[in-house]
Amino acid sequence: MPGKTYDVIVIGTGAGGGMAIKTLCEAGLTICALNSGRRLEPSKDFRNHRQPYDMTYRGFGDPRKRDRFYHIENEYSDGVWEHGITYTTAPGTSWEWPRCHAVGGKTNFWGRSAARMGDIDFKTATLDGGYDVDWPVSYDEIAPFYSRVERLIGVASTVQKRPSNPDGEYLPPMKLRCLDHILERGCSKVGIPYLPDRLAQLTVPHEGHPPCHYCGNCTEGCDTGSFFSTPWMLLPLAEKTGKLELRTNAVVKAILADESGHATGVAYVDRETKQEIEVRGRAVVLAASCVESARILLNSKSRRWPNGLANSSGQAGRNLCDHLYGTTGYGYLPQLLGQPSFPDNVSASQIVWMPRWQNLKSPREEKFIRGYSIYPTGGCGEFPWYHDQIEGFGAELKRDIKRYYRTPVSFYCQIPSLPSPTNYVEIDPEVKDIYGIPVARVHFQWGPNELLMWEHAKQATTDAIKASGGEVWGVGKEPYTPGWSLHETGTLRMGNDPKQFVTNAFGQTHDVSNLFVCDASVFLGCTDKTTTLSILAFALRSSEHLVQRLRNGAL
Amino acid sequence: MAGQGLERREVLRILAIAAAASGYPGFQRWSFACDHESGGPVQVKGRTYTPGFFSAAEYATVERLAELIIPSDSSPGAREAGVSEFIDFMVGSDPAVQYRFRYGLTWLDAHAGRLFGASFAKLQPAQQTDLLNHLAYRSQHRAGEEEGQAFFKLMREHTLMGFYTTRIGLEQLGYPGLTSFYAELPGCPHPADPEHLHLPAPKG
Repeated sequence: MPGKTYDVIVIGTGAGGGMAIKTLCEAGLTICALNSGRRLEPSKDFRNHRQPYDMTYRGFGDPRKRDRFYHIENEYSDGVWEHGITYTTAPGTSWEWPRCHAVGGKTNFWGRSAARMGDIDFKTATLDGGYDVDWPVSYDEIAPFYSRVERLIGVASTVQKRPSNPDGEYLPPMKLRCLDHILERGCSKVGIPYLPDRLAQLTVPHEGHPPCHYCGNCTEGCDTGSFFSTPWMLLPLAEKTGKLELRTNAVVKAILADESGHATGVAYVDRETKQEIEVRGRAVVLAASCVESARILLNSKSRRWPNGLANSSGQAGRNLCDHLYGTTGYGYLPQLLGQPSFPDNVSASQIVWMPRWQNLKSPREEKFIRGYSIYPTGGCGEFPWYHDQIEGFGAELKRDIKRYYRTPVSFYCQIPSLPSPTNYVEIDPEVKDIYGIPVARVHFQWGPNELLMWEHAKQATTDAIKASGGEVWGVGKEPYTPGWSLHETGTLRMGNDPKQFVTNAFGQTHDVSNLFVCDASVFLGCTDKTTTLSILAFALRSSEHLVQRLRNGAL
Repeated sequence: MAGQGLERREVLRILAIAAAASGYPGFQRWSFACDHESGGPVQVKGRTYTPGFFSAAEYATVERLAELIIPSDSSPGAREAGVSEFIDFMVGSDPAVQYRFRYGLTWLDAHAGRLFGASFAKLQPAQQTDLLNHLAYRSQHRAGEEEGQAFFKLMREHTLMGFYTTRIGLEQLGYPGLTSFYAELPGCPHPADPEHLHLPAPKG
């Protein structure tokens, strides 16, 4: 029974879906938003102000769940990450795929680093001599959208004039801590930049949202909405228009299309009733996150679309990219031994970055192409994880653990994988999830370029610690499992040639004109920057393009 | 500042959290060691703890080991923080380490018997310390005690997990997250000394 026809159906409520919903609602369109999980309740689901001793397992979590938990999941966030819907991996692939299906998705718990990409990223193929292809969008075209997003959500940083990092419009930065001053000095001796990160976190009141209170537990969710997330900053604006109908627990099975090649609606399964429901729309925005969006298109098969909807190119699911993350090194700063404790752990200890400094003078100065960034953390944390560096027991151990409390530092890298024909998502021919929907099967391996960067990053970290007067405790043994960063990109890439790309430069699929993609799946690959700010900027641009097309009657 | 009513309510709230969340007997010292509002730890006298996982003899050894690892000296230690109760609970919840604990405790008693003719808990404090020195410090490791070294590492890890997650332990570190909500982030207090080479000598 086809009920109401909405102007647009939006699948997903993360950064991309949230921006699309807000933009489309404010343009006066009627929106049905489908989200595959529940709404979170900040008072219950955000346990960021609990102390370890308030938790049954002191924050370490139930050991019996240890193998089930994703790395990002712990006792404070138990119950908000997706485990019901499974996925498979091809032989030889290790892939950890943490997903938050709650309303707002990963924006509820994200890392908040929000740097703009630039032409060094968009024109990278030309710059580095032809690996893969350039993005179909230049920095000049996207820059105004970055500005509007920054003004809307609030990003704290400084103007840094780095060739790899376009500057934006910033709130005052977070103040540097003792450990930052020491590391900054050391890094400058070895030619590594050490600067305030771009943090989508409020250092002053902004657009009706209170500033950060520096409790330090951001990744357990913010109960004051002081960093960007869709439920705090975008959905209230959409709901104010009265144009939004948000359906939760709606697991999308397929996008429906007619014989003429138009999307007509979406079929989903209600998680609670297990019933299949269809909803009709004049256009569809797909923003379920990279791998999930590809899965939905590949599962939307019909006589006309035997390989999946909007997939005449055969490129849907291809070129899956990810950030290689890993602890490149850790150690301590003896300058701070025995000093009184200090609130170093603000913003989950992540307020600075070492933005890409490689291959800037010429694109081929290193053994690898392109570049990576590093995030330093350290100082007084919730648990003295460095205890295993101190041997012994008794009064001496107790005293030493306290003496070292200010001193530990640790670094992790953000290394983009290169697009590769062997890294992709497909539909598992045999396995279905609990709702009867075929699951994604992931093929992924780190390539040589990423691993060269990893070796480089370990050396750079060691150099930085030593140049800062610090002692190195250890270097990373191996990178974290692929998927760890939660920064998947690619799979529905944008480009001008319909034979090579799924969408055009506006996220509009080449095959189905009233179907738009508004998440990181349209990106050509990862860069040394995080994805959320760029998802917001590209989703804003694509959504406004969709509004125009609907108004012109072009769809 | 905090009136008696509030303290009491806080203690009850914490007890309720621990009890409701765990459905596990005991926790009296642990819960009280978690008291939020009062200035320091509240010591609890009363019924003895009945271990849920360890036997009475095993538990006595665990309690003694925790006390040796984080002693009560000028500041409270594992005993006041109820660390052995936490270990009993955690090991009871963790099938992956149960055998290692049981085996390690058995090894320790057998080893104590070989060296000193009694189980570990019954040794003189100096004998206990001597035995542990050889397990704890690489420079004093002895061939043939590798299993004991591995068990000591496991036991020490659980003791530190149990201690530095109580209010007592976190206060000793000066963990800023216990109290800190800031209107503005305090920056480094030594802007004139970016390399921090001339900091005042640590106290204590």
